[in-house]
Amino acid sequence: MVTLALVRDTFREALTRKIFWVLFGLSTLMILFFLFLLKIDIVAGATATVSLFGRPTRGSPDVNRMVRGVYGGIATFLYTFGMFLAVFASAGLVPSVLEPGRIELLLSKPLSRAHLLLGRFLGNILLVSLNSIYLVLGVWTILGAKTGIWSPVFLIAIATTTFIFAVLLSVVVLIGVTLESAAAATMITVALMIISPILAQTNLMMRLLSSEWSRNLWRALYYTFPKVYELGKMTLDAIQSGTFAGFTPIWTSALFGILMLGAALWIFQRRDF
Amino acid sequence: MRVDSEYAIETQDLTKIYHARWSGGEVRAIDGVSLRVPKGTIFGLLGPNGAGKTTFVKTLLSAVRQTHGSALIFGRDASDPEARRPIGYLPENHRFPTYFTGAGMLDFYASLSGVSASRRKKLIPEHLELVGLSQWGAMRIGKYSKGMLQRLGLAQALIHSPSMLILDEPTDGVDPVGRREIRELLVRCESQGVTIFVNSHLLAEIETLCREIAILHKGKVALTGKMHDLTAGKGYRLTVTKPSDALTEELRAKATSMAARDGLIDFQFPSRELVNTAVDLLRAQQCEIESLAPTTSTLEEVFVRTVEKK
Repeated sequence: MVTLALVRDTFREALTRKIFWVLFGLSTLMILFFLFLLKIDIVAGATATVSLFGRPTRGSPDVNRMVRGVYGGIATFLYTFGMFLAVFASAGLVPSVLEPGRIELLLSKPLSRAHLLLGRFLGNILLVSLNSIYLVLGVWTILGAKTGIWSPVFLIAIATTTFIFAVLLSVVVLIGVTLESAAAATMITVALMIISPILAQTNLMMRLLSSEWSRNLWRALYYTFPKVYELGKMTLDAIQSGTFAGFTPIWTSALFGILMLGAALWIFQRRDF
Repeated sequence: MRVDSEYAIETQDLTKIYHARWSGGEVRAIDGVSLRVPKGTIFGLLGPNGAGKTTFVKTLLSAVRQTHGSALIFGRDASDPEARRPIGYLPENHRFPTYFTGAGMLDFYASLSGVSASRRKKLIPEHLELVGLSQWGAMRIGKYSKGMLQRLGLAQALIHSPSMLILDEPTDGVDPVGRREIRELLVRCESQGVTIFVNSHLLAEIETLCREIAILHKGKVALTGKMHDLTAGKGYRLTVTKPSDALTEELRAKATSMAARDGLIDFQFPSRELVNTAVDLLRAQQCEIESLAPTTSTLEEVFVRTVEKK
């Protein structure tokens, strides 16, 4: 009951922020686009015509390839712009709870501090995952109904985007409980997203870096930080080719998230308000 | 550590030291506070600004971790979340999220206190009515005045039927009629056995409401006791033209103090019976009575004396 109340409170607060509505609005726009503006006629299992905004496109594209292309585009949106919006929108949800006059009342209730913080963490994840489910499931259903192709591998994007958002949210929570600054939480988390594709060039850097210590440093950074880019790429590869290879980015990112969340809980337990 | 649940609050040598991060200096916000608040009473905590009142309350609620010492709530360590279950708390300068409606806010905090959904459904309208906000339950609290927020905060503190209320400036921003209603509500709670711990700077209000008080000064307990004992300076001042020496001596024996000035003598009597006896004696001897007036040693006087003495 208490967890549910905390989750509901997070939802209530999040939905007062316009940025969450922008996120849901963009998802809705994409769903509406595929629902009304993309028309696909299938004749004997092959695409006869594809119409965009009522005009037929040139040639007759491979319907399978086209659907996978759309799935890839949606996943890319979720991993880049969608993730940025989600982080930006979530960054204020922890500092707001710590405001003087609000936190004392919450702490006076018979629940542990860990429960309070994890309740908010869970609420935030659920909110963002609902958006992923809405968008992915919506597009998947529409394209499935229009093309007859029901490729369940696209649904993996729900799990991977939720997972990487949870990892990034742990950073947001840590910065939130230490600095109580939404701006700092956004900047640091977005910085982690930005350096992710750079650190992913490990094989190239191992060849380019001349000294052993600099290679070790690069490796340390690579294994430490969350692998947003690689998880996105893995999701894209899974959608395109049906293979989901390599679990190192998953467990190292999970470990990073657990450590960040653990540190946030440890600091939150010891703080005076 | 002794556990004694006949007290709602029991602290032993409770100390909170804040350390300055860079200079290495330290501030003792509360310093060895040992205090016992019996169950079922209205207890007032007083003190000048910076005395450590808020830190003390926050330590009871575990929002601030003590440096050393202990704090028990109904015999349970205050750091245990379960110790806070019987507490209803109204903070000073509260900031309730403005996205709530009045009813929504009560629903949220009641659910955190473990009140079931069916009970909440029944209790929310009752408590909105109790604090005179039944017409405002569906309104966003961003539209509430300060006094209305204070009433709603009080309803929030009461909704889970707590055994103890900890109230920080409970009538702050409330109009005089509202203040009286809140006082009456608190007295009603006391009659139902609820312990009420009030932190307020309104001495007159504390004096009207509280049975016992403690005055904190510079982080320490400067004075504690029952209200009627601390304000025992109450009595009557009888001013008369100088009576005979024998009568003066007789009256001096009954009075708590005597002072002569400009041919008049002031006698201070502790009770109505004694002053009436004195009046009878004076009139029997045809002595002139200049004036007779009740006097009080107000809490304000006690407070100022205590704080200035330290």
